[in-house]
Amino acid sequence: MTSLPGAQPGAEVSIDRRSDEVQVEILICGSIDRGDDGAACVAGAALSTLLPPDVRLRVVGQLDIDDLLAIPAGAPIVIVDAATGLRPGQVVDLPIEELIRGKELIHPRSSHALALPEVIGLAELLRGRPLQGRIVAVGAEEFGLGRGLSRRVDGAIPTLVEAVRAAAERLRHDSGSGGQA
Amino acid sequence: MHDTDTATGSSGDLAVDIAGLTRVEGEGSLRLKVRAGVVEQAHLEIFEAPRYFERLVVGRTPDEVIDIVARICGICPVAYQMTAVHAFEHGLGISIDPAVRSLRRLLYCGEWIESHALHVYLLHLPDFLGYASALELAHDQRATVEAGLRLKKAGNQIVALLGGRAIHPVSVRVGGFSRSFRRSEIRALREPLTGALEVALQTVDLVAGLDTPHFERSGRLVALRHPDGYPMNEGRIVSSDGLDLASTDWRTEFSEQQVGWSNALQSRDRAGQPYLLGPMARITLSGGQLHPTAAAALARTGLAGEIAVNPYRSIVARAVELVDATAEALDIVEAYQPPADPRQPWTPGPGTAAWATEAPRGLIFHAYDLDDRGLVTHAQIVPPTSQNQAAIEADLAAFAPSVLDLSRDEATLRIEQLIRSYDPCISCATHFLDLSVEALG
Repeated sequence: MTSLPGAQPGAEVSIDRRSDEVQVEILICGSIDRGDDGAACVAGAALSTLLPPDVRLRVVGQLDIDDLLAIPAGAPIVIVDAATGLRPGQVVDLPIEELIRGKELIHPRSSHALALPEVIGLAELLRGRPLQGRIVAVGAEEFGLGRGLSRRVDGAIPTLVEAVRAAAERLRHDSGSGGQA
Repeated sequence: MHDTDTATGSSGDLAVDIAGLTRVEGEGSLRLKVRAGVVEQAHLEIFEAPRYFERLVVGRTPDEVIDIVARICGICPVAYQMTAVHAFEHGLGISIDPAVRSLRRLLYCGEWIESHALHVYLLHLPDFLGYASALELAHDQRATVEAGLRLKKAGNQIVALLGGRAIHPVSVRVGGFSRSFRRSEIRALREPLTGALEVALQTVDLVAGLDTPHFERSGRLVALRHPDGYPMNEGRIVSSDGLDLASTDWRTEFSEQQVGWSNALQSRDRAGQPYLLGPMARITLSGGQLHPTAAAALARTGLAGEIAVNPYRSIVARAVELVDATAEALDIVEAYQPPADPRQPWTPGPGTAAWATEAPRGLIFHAYDLDDRGLVTHAQIVPPTSQNQAAIEADLAAFAPSVLDLSRDEATLRIEQLIRSYDPCISCATHFLDLSVEALG
């Protein structure tokens, strides 16, 4: 079973970076204490050593509007979350705008009272510009209390890690940062 | 994002089946059947998985329990922490520094502000203004939503400072806090709270002017009451029909029971009747203890009497409590002097620990048994939503006949709006484990 030391909401898994150096921000959603809801946290721990200095990894737990309002202007994001509506262990990588338009497709779990598309939509409205980036989600099957991922979700963690890394790298490249992650 | 099936007919029939309630915390559904004007079924079905916390804390120390129970809910973790820490301190005979008491009250104010601002502006207000979501509301009334988020952020700042982080705080310990707080840290809250108080007062004016459906519920209201202030961390359990009980004695009047259609336990009083907790009950039973600024705001609305009976007016009660929590938080910030010692020393030992506090959604009760090593051997955690569930169903049954003549969409909206009036937190309600063991052979 994969473990995740120290990945709690509010924690930055990677080295703290000045906001003007950040090219891409990865937002890790979910709770390590609720079964497959911790999938993004597990992936985040693995990602912390794979990312270049201008990619910031932030564990937000429940994604809040304030988390998105704090994104530096022009910095694309990658939201990582467990979701229902997918096969357990299935990993998808979608543009954020597609999540909002096609909200019946997948249901990310970590925004609590407001659905994730609504959180993103409100943040975009209040920022006055669309959020740019991707959502990388993994299909989950067990959200009960307790640490540890179900077998199929645990098996998908390497795929999830690679999908997040690749998404961040593409966004970093598109924003002009260049080099390989 | 939910499936709704509503049928109305001139014969007085109504069937409402809302498969996924929206703008409530957690996942639940409603099944309502009215035949010839008579309600046959009104079930608020809570199908989130039970979450086993009462078993999880067995074998743990009190300080571990305080951190574990905070994980029951992302909206009201402080309520769980406060109830548990006060229970342990009362059970173990630990006295806390008055400055620690003020800090805990400040922390609780932060959670009330966060929770009420979220509910008033993002979950409930769209109903009254004719919008399907907060996002639609924000498109047309951006300033309104921004005001709500500003309020919520002030609450977040309090919880983040005193709790160590904004969600699932970690600083509360038996005897006090895990660290001391400098005056400069606390004083930094003055500016956001001053702005938040202004917004909270405007919120009362905004929601008092909303056009609300007429509905008069009957039934018992229950809340804490304390002579020194509006109930939050402590008080006696009182009711609209004269109950007056120590907060440790919740179990002498109330009990939990399983129903077939819900993963949450329901609570009823000794007579088997439902009862209602939360802002309506608090304003009605402890309105005399409101902060003067909040009392004046309530008086301006002229709605105190209606708040006692009409759940649709709970949005006004929440707004008044936003003023109360913000004004009191400011008072605490202004008067703050660091405690001599942030944490009183204490010795683990056996005992029984019980306490009730007021979560944003109403009275929450915890009870723990401790063994000789001071480890928990049994726990009972009773959140407000599971206590309110029976009252919500009774109110739905009483209200349903009044929407029989409305269109399908309007009837559904009124019913969903009524459920949202109680701000149910379904994640909290399903924290329990009902364990049955069948002996074989």
